[in-house]
Amino acid sequence: MSDIRTGYIEAFQKQRAKSREAARRAAIARFGELGLPTRRAENWRFTNLRPLEQRLFPPAPAGTVPAATLPPLYRLGVPSHRFVLVNGRFAPALSDMGDLPLGVSLRPLAESAPALAPALDAPFLRESNPFLALNAAFFEDGFDLSMTDVVAGEQPSPPPELDRPIEILHLAAAANPVSLHTRNRLCIPPGRRCTIVETFAGSGPYWTNAVLEIAIGDGAALRHIVLQDEGKEAVHLGHRRIRLGAGARYDGFTLALGSQLSRQDTIVTIEGERAECLLNGAYLLRGSQEATIATLIDHAAPGSATREVFKGVVADRAHGVFQGKIVVRQAAQKTDAHQLNKNLLLGRQAVVDTKPELEIYADDVKCSHGAAIGDLDENALFYLRARGLTAAEARRMLIDAFAGEAIDLVADGAARSYLRRHLERWLAAREE
Amino acid sequence: MLEITNLHARLADGREILKGVDLTVKAGEVHAIMGPNGSGKSTLAGVLAGRPGYEVTAGSVAYEGRDLLALAPDERAREGLFLAFQYPVEIPGVNNMYFLRAALNAVRRQRGEAELDAGQFLKAARAKLKLLDIGEDLLQRPVNVGFSGGEKKRNEIFQMAMLEPKLAILDETDSGLDIDALRVVANGVNKLRSPERAAILITHYQRLLDYVVPDVVHVLSHGRIVRSGDKSLATELECRGYAFLDDAAAE
Repeated sequence: MSDIRTGYIEAFQKQRAKSREAARRAAIARFGELGLPTRRAENWRFTNLRPLEQRLFPPAPAGTVPAATLPPLYRLGVPSHRFVLVNGRFAPALSDMGDLPLGVSLRPLAESAPALAPALDAPFLRESNPFLALNAAFFEDGFDLSMTDVVAGEQPSPPPELDRPIEILHLAAAANPVSLHTRNRLCIPPGRRCTIVETFAGSGPYWTNAVLEIAIGDGAALRHIVLQDEGKEAVHLGHRRIRLGAGARYDGFTLALGSQLSRQDTIVTIEGERAECLLNGAYLLRGSQEATIATLIDHAAPGSATREVFKGVVADRAHGVFQGKIVVRQAAQKTDAHQLNKNLLLGRQAVVDTKPELEIYADDVKCSHGAAIGDLDENALFYLRARGLTAAEARRMLIDAFAGEAIDLVADGAARSYLRRHLERWLAAREE
Repeated sequence: MLEITNLHARLADGREILKGVDLTVKAGEVHAIMGPNGSGKSTLAGVLAGRPGYEVTAGSVAYEGRDLLALAPDERAREGLFLAFQYPVEIPGVNNMYFLRAALNAVRRQRGEAELDAGQFLKAARAKLKLLDIGEDLLQRPVNVGFSGGEKKRNEIFQMAMLEPKLAILDETDSGLDIDALRVVANGVNKLRSPERAAILITHYQRLLDYVVPDVVHVLSHGRIVRSGDKSLATELECRGYAFLDDAAAE
């Protein structure tokens, strides 16, 4: 394992990044101190990081974006603003930003990084997550979506709404092991709203290490849909930080289907009163896939609400982990927070670890959490078979219903159909 | 159509429930099987439909000349056998219409008929609902979820009407129904009556038989058919109760 640590430090010394030199050096030094997490760290104890321990994934060198085409599978199918990254770098040829309304900016982070520099680096290095340090040392690009709340000149105020969804595609194609470190930003100013559909997909032995920071201003709203459909050999680490202002609303959904090892960390800080956080998702795992969903929702202001539902389908020898924590600080009176994790275990060797957690320091709150692990209902299976459906069809229908109930929580119709299509594809592939 | 010979079956815990059932049902006939609680009525229905949890220890069941017990539950259904459940199962997240279309198309494929698309299915379903006087909202709800007892039974009869089975087995479909729902059930069976089809009505009460007149009435007791007769046997049971069976056995 120390070889792997040294490997990344050596890879850093070889790289020729021109920007943020001091910050990068500080970040790789921090990574050198931390090394990869071990199972002794509580936050990592269920996540099997072996694929990252056994193999070095050097950062993808610049200028090696392979000629890729946009797979039809990953088109949302409605008019949108599309931003595509290939191997961690903006791919203008595949992107189609269309006409963005005045005051909306969607551009490669590489362009905006110099202006953002201190904000990009400072907070993460104090933390003990080595992957954030590695990301800070290596990232070159990502997407940067921002809006202004007032537009100068004669434009009406408030400025025009962004009525089409924004599609972000993170595509990867690797012949040899590479790591793709992207830093992404989303900033929604007070009163504005936005729908963003993010997809991760690719092929080959690559490691995605993506960091996304989201700030939602007072009274602003974001619908954020994520499809993680990385390639079979891929490792996916996705880290999201979300800050919510007063009366802000975050409506997030993650469907995790791909990669041999994945972990999605979502950390939400509710900074303003009467904010609303919806954090939902589903993970479907088979073969020997490993996936962790880790969420931390921190209620730091009063009168806010959280609704969190994650559903897992874990088949064959796969291993699913749900670690969900809700913290209600002393100041966060009148918090209304509910969390639920339900799992279907479909193989004798399939494993689920679930760790729902509430940490409450305020006395006037409504909070609950729950977790369940079960298999398919025998009575329902017999009922469906007694009407003529084969055992396989009946099982498929019940799994579809189980995961579909989670997908039904997605409010955006186009995004919901998009995720449904991928769920059907997963179910169809399972029968082959 | 159905020939049950010396059928013995037991539960997983070893308790023997059926102790030599003999029953022959010909095409075009409606048979009623009556009997007290615990006589084996639902076990007989479960064994015929292939419900897990029973073990057949002796005897045979021939359905249209084939060994019924060798077929999987879904094969039996596709071959035209239908069980209306005593306790229909709630299936959250599965839309009733989507489920029934999948079931109907499975049966149609087996019969060599073309599958119905969503539009064709909806048209056929609406016609049946109207015929049976059942509300259309049934289609859009998840299978049996939150249905009242009567709605669940109506849904069973609606499914039966759509699937048009050769042999329908109704397991106490009439229990706990008000008179309107009972008429729906009776109507469903009567509409299906034809020289090519048959039905077995398992019931505790004679009430249903006022609306669906059976060709033969059987009395099941302690896992055996102890008496068979015409409609008048049901009336006799209604008057004298099942106790006389034990008296008769004691004589």
